Amino acid sequence: MSAFDKQKMKPLKDPIPMRLKFRKVGDLQYISHLDLQRVMSRIIVRSGIPAWYTQGFNPHAKMTFALPLSVGTQSICEFIDIKIDREIPTSEILDRLNAQVTEDMKFSAAYVPTTKLAQIAWVSYEINICTDTSDGTLADKVKGLLTTRPLIMKKRSKSGEREVDILDYFKSVTVEQGETLTLRVMLRAGEGSLNPEMIVTALRDRLGLLATAEESYTIMRTGVYFEDGREFE
Amino acid sequence: MSDKRSVLLKSVSKPGRYSGGEYGQIIKNKKAVNARFAFCFPDTYEIGMSNLGVRILYGALNEQDDIWCERVYAPWDDMEAKMRAENMPLTAHESGDPVGEFDIVAFTLQYELCYTNVLNMLELANIPLLAADRGEDAPIIIGGGPCAYNAEPLADFFDCFSIGEGEENLVEFTRLYIKMKLDHTYTRAGFLHEAAKIGGIYVPSLYEVTYNGDGTVKSYEPKFDDIPRRVTKRIMKDMDKAYFPKKPVMPYIETVHDRIMLEVYRGCIRGCRFCQAGMVYRPVREKTPEVLCDQAKCLFEATGYDEISLSSLSISDYSRLPELCNLLLEWTPESMVSLSLPSLRVDNFSRELMEKVESVRSSSLTFAPEAGTQRLRDVINKNVTEEDLMRTVTTAFEGGKTSVKLYFMQGLPTETEEDLDGIAALAESVIHQFYQTPNRPKRAPQVTISVACFVPKPFTPFQWEAQDDLETLLAKQEYLYQKITDRKIKYNHHDAQVSRVEAALARGDRRMSAALLEAHRLGMRFDAWSEFFSYENWLRAFEGAGLDMAFYANRRFGDDEILPWEIIDCGVTREFFAREREKAYAAKTTKNCREQCSACGANKLGGERSWCPNAKNPL
Repeated sequence: MSAFDKQKMKPLKDPIPMRLKFRKVGDLQYISHLDLQRVMSRIIVRSGIPAWYTQGFNPHAKMTFALPLSVGTQSICEFIDIKIDREIPTSEILDRLNAQVTEDMKFSAAYVPTTKLAQIAWVSYEINICTDTSDGTLADKVKGLLTTRPLIMKKRSKSGEREVDILDYFKSVTVEQGETLTLRVMLRAGEGSLNPEMIVTALRDRLGLLATAEESYTIMRTGVYFEDGREFE
Repeated sequence: MSDKRSVLLKSVSKPGRYSGGEYGQIIKNKKAVNARFAFCFPDTYEIGMSNLGVRILYGALNEQDDIWCERVYAPWDDMEAKMRAENMPLTAHESGDPVGEFDIVAFTLQYELCYTNVLNMLELANIPLLAADRGEDAPIIIGGGPCAYNAEPLADFFDCFSIGEGEENLVEFTRLYIKMKLDHTYTRAGFLHEAAKIGGIYVPSLYEVTYNGDGTVKSYEPKFDDIPRRVTKRIMKDMDKAYFPKKPVMPYIETVHDRIMLEVYRGCIRGCRFCQAGMVYRPVREKTPEVLCDQAKCLFEATGYDEISLSSLSISDYSRLPELCNLLLEWTPESMVSLSLPSLRVDNFSRELMEKVESVRSSSLTFAPEAGTQRLRDVINKNVTEEDLMRTVTTAFEGGKTSVKLYFMQGLPTETEEDLDGIAALAESVIHQFYQTPNRPKRAPQVTISVACFVPKPFTPFQWEAQDDLETLLAKQEYLYQKITDRKIKYNHHDAQVSRVEAALARGDRRMSAALLEAHRLGMRFDAWSEFFSYENWLRAFEGAGLDMAFYANRRFGDDEILPWEIIDCGVTREFFAREREKAYAAKTTKNCREQCSACGANKLGGERSWCPNAKNPL
């Protein structure tokens, strides 16, 4: 498999859209969305899949990412839309892409989409906190904090800093206490969405969790959904 | 079960610098290898990952099944503070294992101002700073890269240095280490003694240095009869056959040179008299266009980069450049790959070809006249004329460019006020030329002049020269600032204090290790970054070591003086440098290697496809 292979494939009359699903876990959680875009375009070139290029001064493979992921958050459900302008089976697209990535970023699906990325309305995260869980009421405290309005936090955006009730973004929250503390939240996606890191900040500021280097946490994006709650595809 | 690493990475800026896991990184079974090699770049990840030499050596060492070479970079100050607070040692990028546990720890020395980072990294790795303090179990510390040509200021901290091109000698060095470990003959002293017999390996502790009453060097004496009196640099004789990294590590975060860097040839035919690279990388050795084209294709497949940059000291001097460009252009447009040529001279290049290779994204042109008058350009043997510049900028303006960057130096030997006036005048004539170009773009032109301070470097015809003292450098900068009145001309200059420290370190001797140790104790690091550089601290460090910065930076070294770096033989002879220096004083130029051999001496090293008449296979 080579970057040059696509030139041997049969051209399509019109480019067709192609949706790719992949994960971004492990060490890859530390790279930004901007870096991911650059990395993705190189993966596509190396793989030799017949991605359609934008015309103009600076031709590049057309890519549309579903939802940006913030640094420090992992995901098993990232979506990206590209276009294909030559004939290739979807299984070969997957094989070619997966030959060019590490375990931290495997592609799990490639298909012609029937929906728009903008239809994503909800996104779920699992936040796992390694902390002292000997206090049996910890889960209740966390649940209480995340369900009692308002929970005012400072939110930074392009237009500056403003105070918001972060619970405005919540659809649901569950808290489980075992060896670790596990939060499962469903948040509104799209414009002005909430960085799940803010929830961690709230736990730190209001409950004193994660104050020491002995405590750590992970955040995993576990699913994206349509407005009616069905899993996005 | 807390994850300390993730806590750390989530708390620092740009965690992608440290996370590793890149596509193309080499992972081996540490129990199955015979030597673990830590290749340290004493600056940030973004800079280190852009270095072609490191990529080559990383690949060359890892080609050996029983050697595992890993990368190490300097942590930024926020990361360093956390590491110190948590008592976490410096670790290697691939395995995350502490650098102090490696067999061999190498540092590439790219510029003098990274020396304090070397010491800081050794300390973070819990490795004793002084070679003399290291026990039998401590890693062997080896240095290399351009600054190893005068490594004397670092002599106390390193066990040895690799001089010249390391593709072969680092492997030989590591093989010797493995052999002595496996047959149980290894002792630290025994190994270093044997290593000193490998071509290009310099073991400073095996030489006794004495000094004259005035502080100059009196002698370098080998402590044993079986080690060389001078260490001759190593070169790769045939660049077509030299090791070439086929599968580079792909950085996840943006690095300084994030593109394919295709090394076209080594050395330089020009012989600019201030330029150390142009002297120490001699003789010129070219690769053939066919080999280069294959290598470029291979790199494109392995990286997916959309830009190829032809990399060499002066790319337009490559004797087969049009052929190479044509070969590359046969496949690059279809693959959406653009071709860029840094620092292009238009002399021997057709307009048509230039339009094809020019990166459409770049709107500026860079040109380095280095000096403001023809007389001074002749003194430094920079064989460009004002006409060359005007022809080049006219072509650029016609091609739609409006921005021109000009590089100059201040404080060059024999410089007068007239030469400084010349810098301003040259910038003005570029603006003038813009308005004389009939089909010029509609936007206003912008000329940026960037003026560095002259730093006398070892192994150049100007190695004996004094740098202007700080007051003079500052006065010249102010003078030029007053001279430039046109608002279309932007004037930048280097920090004269930084240049002075650079000059002192560049021409330092072994006693300077004490000043570096003092600088380290004062908490200095990242001196190449203006936010960290402190001239006051450097003055204090020199004073603390009982040294005078002026002795090294601002003194004219004696004609017959033994120079600290002459323990190294870079191929080019002292006699050649002295001849060139005389010609400089007479403002006489020297022809380039292709026009005529000037008997610099480097041909004794051999080399295929060089321009040397007596080399094995001249062009």
